[in-house]
Amino acid sequence: MNDMTPTREQRTAALEGLGCKRKRVEDIRFTQGKGNYVDDVKLPGMLHGDFVRSPHAHARVKSIDDSEALKVPGVLAVITAETLKTVNLAWMPTLAGDVQMVLADGKVLFQNQEVAFVVATDRYAADDGINKVKVEYEPLPPLIDPFKAMDADAPVLREDLAGKTTGAHGPRKHHNHIFEWTVGDKELTDAAFKKAEVTIKEMISYHRTHPSPLETCQCVCSFDKIKGELTIWGTFQAPHVIRTVVALIAKLPEQKIHVISPDIGGGFGNKVGAYPGYICAAVASIVTGKPVKWVEDRIENLTATSFARDYHMTTEIAATKQGKVTGLRVHVLADHGAFDACADPSKWPAGFFNIVTGSYDFPTAHLAVDGIYTNKAPGGVAYRCSFRVTEAAYCIERAMDILAQKLGMDPAELRLKNFIRPEQFPYHSALGWEYDSGDYGTAMRKAMETVKYAELRKEQEALRAAFKRGETREIMGIGVSFFTEIVGAGPSKNCDILGIAMFDSCEIRMHPTGAGIARMGTKSQGQGHETTWAQIIATEIGIPADNIMVEEGNTDTAPYGLGTYGSRSTPVAGAAIAMAARKIKAKAQMIAAYKLEVHEDDLEWDIDGFRVKGLPEKFMSMKDICWAAYNSVPPGMEPGLEAVSYYDPPNMTYPFGAYICVMTIDVDTGVYKVRRFYALDDCGTRINPMIIEGQVHGGLTEAFAIAMGQEIRYDAEGNVVTGSFMDFFMPTAVETPHWETDFTVTPSPHHPIGAKGVGESPNVGGVPAFSNAVNDAFSFLGSTHIQMPHDFWRNWQAAKNLGVFEAA
Amino acid sequence: MQMNDSQRIPAPKEKVWAALNDPDVLKQCIPGCQSLEMSSPNEMTATVVLKVGPVKATFGGKVTLSDRDPPNSYRISGEGSGGIAGFAKGGATVRLASDGPEATILTYEVDARIGGKLAQLGGRLIDSTARKLASQFFASFGEAVGHVAVTGV
Repeated sequence: MNDMTPTREQRTAALEGLGCKRKRVEDIRFTQGKGNYVDDVKLPGMLHGDFVRSPHAHARVKSIDDSEALKVPGVLAVITAETLKTVNLAWMPTLAGDVQMVLADGKVLFQNQEVAFVVATDRYAADDGINKVKVEYEPLPPLIDPFKAMDADAPVLREDLAGKTTGAHGPRKHHNHIFEWTVGDKELTDAAFKKAEVTIKEMISYHRTHPSPLETCQCVCSFDKIKGELTIWGTFQAPHVIRTVVALIAKLPEQKIHVISPDIGGGFGNKVGAYPGYICAAVASIVTGKPVKWVEDRIENLTATSFARDYHMTTEIAATKQGKVTGLRVHVLADHGAFDACADPSKWPAGFFNIVTGSYDFPTAHLAVDGIYTNKAPGGVAYRCSFRVTEAAYCIERAMDILAQKLGMDPAELRLKNFIRPEQFPYHSALGWEYDSGDYGTAMRKAMETVKYAELRKEQEALRAAFKRGETREIMGIGVSFFTEIVGAGPSKNCDILGIAMFDSCEIRMHPTGAGIARMGTKSQGQGHETTWAQIIATEIGIPADNIMVEEGNTDTAPYGLGTYGSRSTPVAGAAIAMAARKIKAKAQMIAAYKLEVHEDDLEWDIDGFRVKGLPEKFMSMKDICWAAYNSVPPGMEPGLEAVSYYDPPNMTYPFGAYICVMTIDVDTGVYKVRRFYALDDCGTRINPMIIEGQVHGGLTEAFAIAMGQEIRYDAEGNVVTGSFMDFFMPTAVETPHWETDFTVTPSPHHPIGAKGVGESPNVGGVPAFSNAVNDAFSFLGSTHIQMPHDFWRNWQAAKNLGVFEAA
Repeated sequence: MQMNDSQRIPAPKEKVWAALNDPDVLKQCIPGCQSLEMSSPNEMTATVVLKVGPVKATFGGKVTLSDRDPPNSYRISGEGSGGIAGFAKGGATVRLASDGPEATILTYEVDARIGGKLAQLGGRLIDSTARKLASQFFASFGEAVGHVAVTGV
């Protein structure tokens, strides 16, 4: 070897594979304004559609008069439910087994519900047309408070369900009831509570919020009358699912539907569902024979397309005096709005909320969820979390703090005492999950040591004493959160969407010069798939990541996949990539053996090629193998080098983490300051540490937003009073605290590369950390639980309710 | 939303009562009122331009007078639709009491409901806008009736 021969380290580094802080390749176009989003799609003769929406939360639609609107120059058509009925599309099925009005059919059930679709030559004309559509409403009493939904005299919202005592998920108890879902052993749990030395009970609400991606939901539909083909460009997190849904409801042959998700400006769960805008644009294109674009504005996005949370969780824990938990009982009142349009795997009406036992060894637990209708927008999507996992983590993490307070124990100590121990994995939870791997104690202790937890508690004690002496008006909170997520939906045995198993897929095609393309069933909305997917392939087959192009989002070229949400891409599609790459490698090994004239068992893999065992100079690089695959394969072997993998995961993955938030609050103004936020994440094998850090920063910022102010709030009339960024908290660099990130690595034993997924962990763990910090700050004044969001006004109100202004 | 207030108007009670029932006076005093026409002794139709924060809309609707107890009190209520800007509905109970022979104390209790874009975008501005509109109305009303500026009580 001469000096020019690269070392093993250099060869590994050149691949930019697993563990490399590779710069995001997609950012080259994003940072130069060269992304290609749906709104960049401009087709010749393209029309624009926009909605007439209901100002009422609940009203009968007496009449719709479009005669004046049709006189507006540029307005070509006004589509109403009556129009859609002619093509049997006035209603559409939801992912949750319900049906939803595409356009108001006799009634409106939430404010800003779609009433009519105006199609015009440009957006301005469409808007002018909207102003001229006259809709006569007869207002009905709105039902806004979920706790009144099942009152005997509650207004009937869904007249279409009259007489239906069974829904998609079993019996309905009331005209506004959707489903009841129960998990766990009720008898055993009740018995644990009877025997308990200590119990707590609290109604913990996770308020309604919204994923609010900066790019709103939008599409362009173009129907080719000659070919009978429909092409849809849309902001879809799951393009293949959309294609199948369109095929099923529009009765078009699936091969004649082309769904393309170009670059997407954030999804966070908001872009999983199917919305009336898509249907109306498609119908309008079929009717007019021209492409039709529909682009939501901000208010429409916040008030009409899928919200998140609105879970009201009555939570009880049974424990011994020493702080060992013995039982968990949770009842959830789940406000789904006017239609059940939750985006969960079909058999899971409350998502994976049964992860609510969290990181703790509960011997028994029982959970019941009642889904109900109200006069609010439909949805209930997983906003930067796996299905209902943020709700579950918030519920248990808040409840553990309440228990610690009752026991007079430190909340971190209580957690350490109840953690599932490393030797218990794979661990079977009382509510039915099999946790794959974890080392919770190590992560918790590392977090506590890093922030000097014991010292913080001493400081807090001193500050509390000073507060009581009247020397300061500042209180300090230390929020501890230890979360276990459940991601990677999911195994075909229990996860499907409309009957399609939740596998994911990858197709890799290697080119003769040692480059290749990977096509995926997933769809990045900013997660950096083009960067990380190539890194997995680089390590698996020894081709530099820069030589692998990743393509997603075109249903004609990509293998069928279930899309990107619920942190499923790495656990499911990441595995499919590794498996496809291993098929390539297996064929490559046969080619190399033939070319090196040895038996393939005599070869060993060495970073970027195969080497003959014991003969280090006999080596064939993967690059050379690619070339050989196209001209000199072994006799009987087909030329070419490509592979497809459809990966059905054997289990979910269970990332976890320990977060600590230190906060001070001025009781006189309610103004808080995040002094420190430390986030330790264990997402198993780390593919790209820089992307992980970016994901954690983004997730924490959204967690901060939700916990500290972001809310979709309704007044008693059903008006959305936080329908714009003026009132809906969207943190910018000004408000956002500094984030400190850290990690441990506990690989998933069943994932081909041991990765678990990370994009959503920070939102799952972040929200309870913030809320626990606020609650911890106020706890010494006698409060047990203050509901989110903790904005300045509510903090001030909390202080007022606790009587801190009376003494002053 | 609810508001209560009272104003002292330098005019006798009967004169104030007459003005409260005079469509021309009301039209002149209701801020943004484009038209107000009597359709029956207790009913009027009105067009009002209303601006709350970023939303400006023309409301068309009905105004009804009820619970009349001349010259002491009545209830004036209305509802109107502003198209895509939303809707407004509400009313006021107005009471008159003499404050000597040449002055009247007018007390009002207003309740109002709004919906649609007005409520979404103007939410935080509604209370202050409503107060401003009420004070504008009574200022104009005092001028129209008493030919002098009114004072709060």
